[in-house]
Amino acid sequence: MTDQRSVFADATQAKGEAIIECVGVDKFFGDFQALYDINITVGLQEVVVVIGPSGSGKSTLIRCINRLEKHDRGSIRVDGIELTDDVRNVQEIRRETGMVFQSFNLFPHLTVLDNITLAPRQVRHIAKDAAEEDAMSLLERVGIPEQARKYPGQLSGGQQQRVAIARSLAMKPKVMLFDEPTSALDPEMIKEVLDVMVELAKGGMTMIVVTHEMGFARAVADRVVFMSDGRIVEVGTPEHFFTNPEEDRTKLFLSQIL
Amino acid sequence: MTTPTKTEAPRPPATTLSGRLKSRFFPNPWSGAVSIILTPLLIYLGYRTLLFVFVNARWDAVSRNLTLFMQGTYPRDQQWRLVVQVLLLALALGVGTGTGSAAARDRAEEAGLAYSPPSVLGTLRRFWSLIAFVLILLFMTGTPVPWITAAGVVVAGLLGWQAFRLPRRLRMAGWLVTLLLLFAGFQVVSGTVGAAWVPMGVIAAVALWKTTPEKRFALRMTLLLKVGLAVGALASVRALYLAFPLVGVGWDNWSGFHLTLWWSAIVIVLSFPFGLLLALARRSSLPALRYLSTSYIELIRGVPLITLLFMGQFMLGFLLPVGSSLSRISRSIAAGTMFTSAYVAEIVRGGLQSLPAGQTEAGQALGMGSTAIMRKIVLPQALRAVIPAMVGQFISLFKDSSLLFILNLVEFLGVRGLVHAQADFRVVGHAETLVFVALGYWAFAFAMSRESQRLERRLGVGVR
Repeated sequence: MTDQRSVFADATQAKGEAIIECVGVDKFFGDFQALYDINITVGLQEVVVVIGPSGSGKSTLIRCINRLEKHDRGSIRVDGIELTDDVRNVQEIRRETGMVFQSFNLFPHLTVLDNITLAPRQVRHIAKDAAEEDAMSLLERVGIPEQARKYPGQLSGGQQQRVAIARSLAMKPKVMLFDEPTSALDPEMIKEVLDVMVELAKGGMTMIVVTHEMGFARAVADRVVFMSDGRIVEVGTPEHFFTNPEEDRTKLFLSQIL
Repeated sequence: MTTPTKTEAPRPPATTLSGRLKSRFFPNPWSGAVSIILTPLLIYLGYRTLLFVFVNARWDAVSRNLTLFMQGTYPRDQQWRLVVQVLLLALALGVGTGTGSAAARDRAEEAGLAYSPPSVLGTLRRFWSLIAFVLILLFMTGTPVPWITAAGVVVAGLLGWQAFRLPRRLRMAGWLVTLLLLFAGFQVVSGTVGAAWVPMGVIAAVALWKTTPEKRFALRMTLLLKVGLAVGALASVRALYLAFPLVGVGWDNWSGFHLTLWWSAIVIVLSFPFGLLLALARRSSLPALRYLSTSYIELIRGVPLITLLFMGQFMLGFLLPVGSSLSRISRSIAAGTMFTSAYVAEIVRGGLQSLPAGQTEAGQALGMGSTAIMRKIVLPQALRAVIPAMVGQFISLFKDSSLLFILNLVEFLGVRGLVHAQADFRVVGHAETLVFVALGYWAFAFAMSRESQRLERRLGVGVR
């Protein structure tokens, strides 16, 4: 894999100041190796889109970045903090990184407002009134302030995912991780979620997005990462990536989905 | 879960009475044959039952011993305590349901859902088994006291229900008043000597802590103020208890249905937190805790309750420091709690396991600690999911309280022994008293079961 790293040496480097640095990350599930020697640096305010066939390790990669999965070799640094077994470090990093899941994972027993204010109140010890004010302005931002007092079960999938985004933003993270945020949505709801993500990117949020939405990748990404079989196969600008991919596997994948 | 939408079911064409009878009982030859065989059988059984209930039965075995059944050997001159207790508990029930309904109304309004307060008719229908049992008692009694008490219960309940009208900021106060009334109900019977002031003081301290407004004071001032108020409450309750020691009848001298109900309530209240802790310990990442909890649960679940109750009587002393002694009722409460908490633990564990991993992950991704995740995300959902199973366990415990009879404790079933020791009823009335006791257990168990089903139906509202 060393030759590959050298090929993409410049492309794996971030543009601005680095906020996430993965060096030689390996991950195993039992005997199965899910990630092979992942090297990537993400810079501040950068949007990186990760694509690839299912089972290629995309989700595993971003789940390693906030330690929902533990990597087995190599090092991951987020905002200068190295991910170790130290629980405090891990929680520190998780507060810096918001995550949006494919299946929303909203708390069904809490109202939308309580879903959003729970972590700020529990973790950052923000007073109820202030937290709710914050939450309302976030709900304005994602376009559904009128749903604040409803329960997740009363909302459509698109609305739920927007609440989930607002919930992550409430912790004022420096990085947002998106794990296939639109894959569980009905087609007519995908746009409303992508619109929120585009707004977020324009606002200068650092984002790593695992997605199958090539339109989004083309329009918003600073860099596109193509993964296959647990390896980073190709990294490049969207322009380079969609018009002139170098690797055969990338070409094959793009021909299958476009 | 979704709320069922109201759709007009297509009505079957109206038919004549004979047509309906035919379609119901003789839709085909086989059903017809079953109807022909069963109908006379049922008529005969009904006839024999009615004959027993209204003609042959010696109900005086019950009606002359109603007080004995209800309060057992509780001192007769202290009976007023039981009456006051019932009134206090009715008031607590009223305030509790009023506050609970008001809180439900607040939530529904906020979520934009329709809310209709419980109606009188609906409440009567919900608790019809209990009401029927009480009516039977009232019609059997020859004295005015039960009637007066029953009227007082209705008045106290309705009075307490007015908590429903309280403004929102008094919701917490409503809950605390409920707790205070419940505890006062307990204390009226059991007395206030010894360390009885501690729970009451804690309730009062928490009440002041929770209801002190924060906005008007600076933060440090508030904290100091709150600590001061809480300590003050604790001290004044203690002073109050010392000034007016109310000598009651400790639970060692309780008996009859009164004992059955309190014993079950105490064991239920105690075994819930213990069961919860056992369930959490069984899923803990610390092996020592896990093995300890697992072996406790498996050990207890492999032993019959009656064995445990006997062991409680004879062997609990081995575990206690020399010289300390526990009364027989305390021992049986300990044994019952040990037994039930093992089952509660397994039920809670089922609830914990039923929760999708994504819920915990979402909490982790937000940087929440494992305690906060457990308290705010996992437990509220897991416990809701297991309420029906838990109530089932509690119903079975309530009925199993009759095993105390074998330990020579005179609970509801045990009262029969006293009744049939009387000269008049040595031979007659055995069936009648059994039927009566069965009816008493059934009325409560059935009400609990219906409430649990109702809860199960309602739980999904607004959720998922």
